[in-house]
Amino acid sequence: MAPKVPFNASEISEKARRDLLLLLEGVRGKKNLVLEKALAGSLNLLVKFSTLQEYGVDKPFFLENDNVDSSQRNVVFLVRGEKSKTVLEVADQIKRLRRNGSVEHEFTIIWVPRRTMVSDQLLEEAGVLGEASVSEWPLFFVPLADDVLSLELDEAVTDLYLRKDPTSVYLSAKALMLQQQKYGLFPRIIGKGDNSKRLADLLIRMRTEVTAGESSASDGASFLGLTPSSTIDSLIIIDREVDFPTVLLTQLTYEGLIDEVFNITANQTEVDSSVVGGAAPQPGQTASASASMKRKVLIDPKDALYSTLGDSNFSVVGALLNTAARRLQSSTERNQLAAKTTAELRDFVTKLPGYQAEQASLKLHTNLAEEIIKHTRSDIFTRCLEVQQNIMSGADPTTQHDSITELISRDVPLPTILRLLCLESTTNAGMRPKDLETFKRAIIQAYGPQHLLTLSSLEKMSLLSSRAGLVLGTSQAAKPGTVTNYSPLRRNLKLWDDDVNEAKPNDISYVFSGYAPLSVRLVQSIIQKQTLANAIKPPTHPSAAAQANPLAQGLRIFDDVTKYIRGATFDETQTGEEKAVKARSMLNGSHNDAAKTVVVFFLGGVTRAEISALRFVGGRLREVGGEGRGSRVVICSTGIVKGAGLVGSAIETETFG
Amino acid sequence: MSKPTANWEKVGDKFYRRVELYRNIFDADLELEKYNVVGAPYSGAVAIYRDEEKIHAYRGMQTAKSSIDIYSCAGTLIRRINWDKGSIKGLGWSEDEKLLVVTEDGTVRCYYDLQGDFVPFTLGHGADEVGVQSCRFWSTGFVALLGNNHLISVARYDEPRPKLLAIPPSEAVVSWAIIPPAYSLSRSVEVILAIGTTLYVVDATDAEDRDFTAGPFRHISVSPRGEFLAFYTDDGKVWVVSGDWSEKLSEYNSRAKTVPKDMQWCGSNAVALAWEDEVHLIGPRSVATKFYYDAWVHLLPDVDGLRLLTNDVCEYLQKVPDETEEVFRLGSESPAANLLEASNLLDQKSPKADDLIQLIRPSLAEAVDTCVKAAGHEYNIHWQKALLKAASYGKSVLDLYNSDDFVDMCETLRVLNAVRFYEIGLPLSYDQFKRLTPEKLIARLTNRNAYLLALRISSYLQLPASSIHVHWAAQKVRISTADDDSICTLIVKKLHGAPGVSFEGIARAAYDEGRVRLATQLLNYEPRPGKQVPLLLGMKEDTIALDKAIESGDTDLVYHVLLHLRKKLPLAAFFRVLNTRPLATALVESSAWHQDKDLLKDLYYQDDRRLEGSNLLLSEALESTDLALALDKLKLASKYLQDTKDLAFHRTQLEDAAKLLRLQETFEKELKMESGAFVGQSVNQTIFSLTRLGHAKRAQKVIAEFKVPERTATWLKLRALVSARHWNEIEEWAGKSKKSPIGWEPFFNEVLAAGNSRVASLFIPKCTGVTVGQRVEMWEKCGLLVKAGEEAFKAKDRALLMEVGERATGSAKVEIERFVGMLGKGR
Repeated sequence: MAPKVPFNASEISEKARRDLLLLLEGVRGKKNLVLEKALAGSLNLLVKFSTLQEYGVDKPFFLENDNVDSSQRNVVFLVRGEKSKTVLEVADQIKRLRRNGSVEHEFTIIWVPRRTMVSDQLLEEAGVLGEASVSEWPLFFVPLADDVLSLELDEAVTDLYLRKDPTSVYLSAKALMLQQQKYGLFPRIIGKGDNSKRLADLLIRMRTEVTAGESSASDGASFLGLTPSSTIDSLIIIDREVDFPTVLLTQLTYEGLIDEVFNITANQTEVDSSVVGGAAPQPGQTASASASMKRKVLIDPKDALYSTLGDSNFSVVGALLNTAARRLQSSTERNQLAAKTTAELRDFVTKLPGYQAEQASLKLHTNLAEEIIKHTRSDIFTRCLEVQQNIMSGADPTTQHDSITELISRDVPLPTILRLLCLESTTNAGMRPKDLETFKRAIIQAYGPQHLLTLSSLEKMSLLSSRAGLVLGTSQAAKPGTVTNYSPLRRNLKLWDDDVNEAKPNDISYVFSGYAPLSVRLVQSIIQKQTLANAIKPPTHPSAAAQANPLAQGLRIFDDVTKYIRGATFDETQTGEEKAVKARSMLNGSHNDAAKTVVVFFLGGVTRAEISALRFVGGRLREVGGEGRGSRVVICSTGIVKGAGLVGSAIETETFG
Repeated sequence: MSKPTANWEKVGDKFYRRVELYRNIFDADLELEKYNVVGAPYSGAVAIYRDEEKIHAYRGMQTAKSSIDIYSCAGTLIRRINWDKGSIKGLGWSEDEKLLVVTEDGTVRCYYDLQGDFVPFTLGHGADEVGVQSCRFWSTGFVALLGNNHLISVARYDEPRPKLLAIPPSEAVVSWAIIPPAYSLSRSVEVILAIGTTLYVVDATDAEDRDFTAGPFRHISVSPRGEFLAFYTDDGKVWVVSGDWSEKLSEYNSRAKTVPKDMQWCGSNAVALAWEDEVHLIGPRSVATKFYYDAWVHLLPDVDGLRLLTNDVCEYLQKVPDETEEVFRLGSESPAANLLEASNLLDQKSPKADDLIQLIRPSLAEAVDTCVKAAGHEYNIHWQKALLKAASYGKSVLDLYNSDDFVDMCETLRVLNAVRFYEIGLPLSYDQFKRLTPEKLIARLTNRNAYLLALRISSYLQLPASSIHVHWAAQKVRISTADDDSICTLIVKKLHGAPGVSFEGIARAAYDEGRVRLATQLLNYEPRPGKQVPLLLGMKEDTIALDKAIESGDTDLVYHVLLHLRKKLPLAAFFRVLNTRPLATALVESSAWHQDKDLLKDLYYQDDRRLEGSNLLLSEALESTDLALALDKLKLASKYLQDTKDLAFHRTQLEDAAKLLRLQETFEKELKMESGAFVGQSVNQTIFSLTRLGHAKRAQKVIAEFKVPERTATWLKLRALVSARHWNEIEEWAGKSKKSPIGWEPFFNEVLAAGNSRVASLFIPKCTGVTVGQRVEMWEKCGLLVKAGEEAFKAKDRALLMEVGERATGSAKVEIERFVGMLGKGR
């Protein structure tokens, strides 16, 4: 028996799908499904609508639209139960249906991912608990790709940093705990950031709780389940708060840019139909209602062409598309067909559907890339990028102020401006009070007084701050652990790479054409020490001539740099009873360390560029083989984020009048 | 030793056996014929209560009191539940030995352990008015028949939701039965009603008439897995129909004058009819055999057989399992029978043993398997031993044999024999044990307070013992009269550190018993803070509950406690609780932002959080649709910040916002525009719109009023004019001013982007800050190649000029060539 692969994407989605279908089967007959918009994406990834129909779903409704009708006796609500707001909405709709409908309804509420006590309490107060049968769908991780698992908590950023509501930390802990129960404990939990620390503490506490309780219900396997895993190397937790700038920057990978320009939700993006053409739906694309001008396009990580494109820097995408087109053309060319024997011909015909799918995918991506080029060629885009690159390479931020002011005057969308300002503030431990005030006034004048609230929220999220009473250069004096100090980090982690190679990347800096994301550097300092140490080549260690770079010893880089970064640092090892450890290693047999999995958890969201960078790191680990402590990198997160979303969570949408 | 076949009866070509489980079940005084008797599935407990429709001999005050008595199969009284709650219309068991009592008024009590603790619920749907007639139970639920023939089903007991099934005709129901959801075609419970001469099948959505005319059917019975239905017709015939109603399988004529009092399936292949002291067992193909008893007999159906209960004896009637038949049937020539014989001979030290073994050598492995299985089906310990010994002998002769099954069977039999012992009285058959699972068996034992046996079995089978410990401790807390401290020490001494022990459960038992102090003491040993919360709340230890909830990290728990506190405490006290707990405060803020802004206002005021308070007012101002109200709110928001110096900037901005609103309102009035034309726009947007509409003066006023920087103002004016396509004004403006605060390139770019290359070109000469190359490009963008050439010529850049020349056509080309020539001459 091959050892079980931990964090197996297909296994997780299969289980989630089975669980849901079982729940739906439990409701007899046809039913109307009311679901929260935030769940639609995940649902679509896991179950096809036709399958839902097979299980009796007649019509889907969105909870937010409040329009479910009485056409079916059975009404099934599929909603998240953590927020009292959604619970009350469900209660209201049940009451409305009960009042209006001539039909006697059967209500079923399926809470995702768990049934909460608050929901019970609120439903009871609303007087509807008695007539709905309540169950839960333990949907935690939604696999977006084989190596990307997301909790798809859309509000995680707002909750964690603006409202300081740690619900998502708890849910993350639950999700990770489920995996631990299945595959064994993470032998090591290491990470950075206050919320990460909270998550690590929760994981350790839950471990004692699981040994203390619940296990009685399950079978004897759980005793074995709570020993350190032999297939997982470690869990690395990065709090988003540790590294906001990476999110604020414009992502320059192809997938990142699709997200920036068109917005990707749950592997689907909505593109104007004029861009992708009104062709009949191809495999890998799902056409939405013909009436709308937007078409939904599936960004499929399993698509062969896309898997090579997605993680590349956008500047080389054109060339890649070109090669793909040539290859495709040469293999389907007519005159070549003539030269083929019948056996070859048969071989060719069997491959034909593959070619057609590839053709379709090629056409789609060429169109998308063209549309993105239109965007990246625009004056505003290049101006923003210039400001970003200057700030990240360590130029004096005040030199960029004119550009930002001009962009404000030109009425560039607010998120773009806020990204630039927050970028400056977060990389320089705040802005000069005077500058900050000027920009605040400029923003309020340009975008409206309601953004006083936006600015307050940004300050609360510590995306925007004033460099309190300090003169430039003495910012080291700030209390350690409260702000991230970029100038030593830039040097010690080589965050800026001047000789970046986008076409043949040799370092993760390719994803931002120069800037190497801090978060990924941190991960590297744990799992890819040698490479990183050699990349840094610090002048402070001239004796580094020796084969092994002294920096690569132990956790030296990690320990060195984490003191410049805000938030708590932690490194825990989880051990189990010796007997059980032995039993587990006996069961799994001996297999080399290289096959171990490293789980990187981003609390508060991960950007697509970081995913690409981590994939790059993972690829290198596999190549080198001996280096690092595992070769499979699995990325888990509370959700996928991007700059617009991060600042967007602070933006006030109400206006006067 | 009696022969194992002594209790076998042949029914058709199949054998049935009556295994005598226990003797001397009930007091001889107990008139079992006047009681209703129901047995829990998997040989569980038996509940009896007096049938009210029968006349009883008066036996003094004591027995006149009505009660439900729970006995084990061996007749040990487990519990007596005194009953004065009205007439019982349904009594039944669930799979996990919960006793359900349904009274006439539709109240259901679910006794979840055998100790008399219960959870009540009501059926509703008018059951209290028309009354419950009778009930039918299946493993996890039941269906109640009401007086008006309405049917109510309850599918689970942890969260009972009585559902009304489709409504059948209201004529009198002769008899009825249910098909459990697990075995029905529709996967939901189905009810078969005999009404008049026909049968109705009722499920959640419709009541279907099956068009029978042979009725009325006096009895209906469904086989344990729903594959067959049996009907007893008025003329004494038993019909067996397949579960999908597709064919009638057999018909048996009982020739009885009286209708039997009961008809039940025995396993899935025979039907038993019971009269007072006579039982007919009808096998397939309508063959039957008759048993006679000397007392009233009750039928208790189980999954693989039928328990027969009289005052004197408890018997198990089942089809002889195939393996057993193979070994023991008279004259059996099967390898297993030979193996048993060989083992016997070996005991007698006869050399024939080996001959026999050699004879069955080719199928020896199979024979061993059969013996092992037959041992499992055997109740008699002597024969169990003999069969296992035979298997062991056979297996020693084999070179390769996987002994797992053998070992398993030995373990299982040990457990089975232990629980079959009359003091425990759980006569499980092997199949029942497999289906019940060892965990559930242990739960049954703990419910009977047989802790020692439960612990022994769980350690023997290597199962977690935590639930046994907890149950024991809870029971200890309930019944012990010792003082709190000694109980606590006793429990902790025994259980502390044992895996999986939930002290919360024990503490709850103590609390329910009214021993609050003990509960608190015990709760301290609970390692999971989350588990402590509900009980702490119940114990009114609110702040401790809140702290524990926060400690658990589960926001749901924190919310739960907060909601509770919010309702209970006065506002000031509530805030005091929040004061030192930032997480709780954050959660209150985040939920109140959508629902309860007044609460937030008070909170901010209390904590002197000026900025947040003011922001709250600002957001209210934004929400109000009435301008005057919005202005009021803004004023309040600004006043809120009055005394704080470091928020002065914020305050000015709020005042500016009010100023802007008033200004916009004035503009709307002055320009006779609909309201909302300006209100809601920012300063910049206002300037833009005003300029665009040609109200330059007013725009200027706004600029002055809000000290808009010159560069911004210029940009705004430029963009507004371009968007309004006021080319003349742009030209005029550009002509008038020598310098522009933003340079002239933006003018060029914006105008060109709007598509007017003529006007755009006007700005090229003004762009002095750019290189020649860029200027050439600018000319080219306007399509003025000659001009571009001229620019290059002026700069004497020959290469650039040639480049331009390459792109030029027609007359422009000629012109540029002329320039090239001139340059050449110049050299």
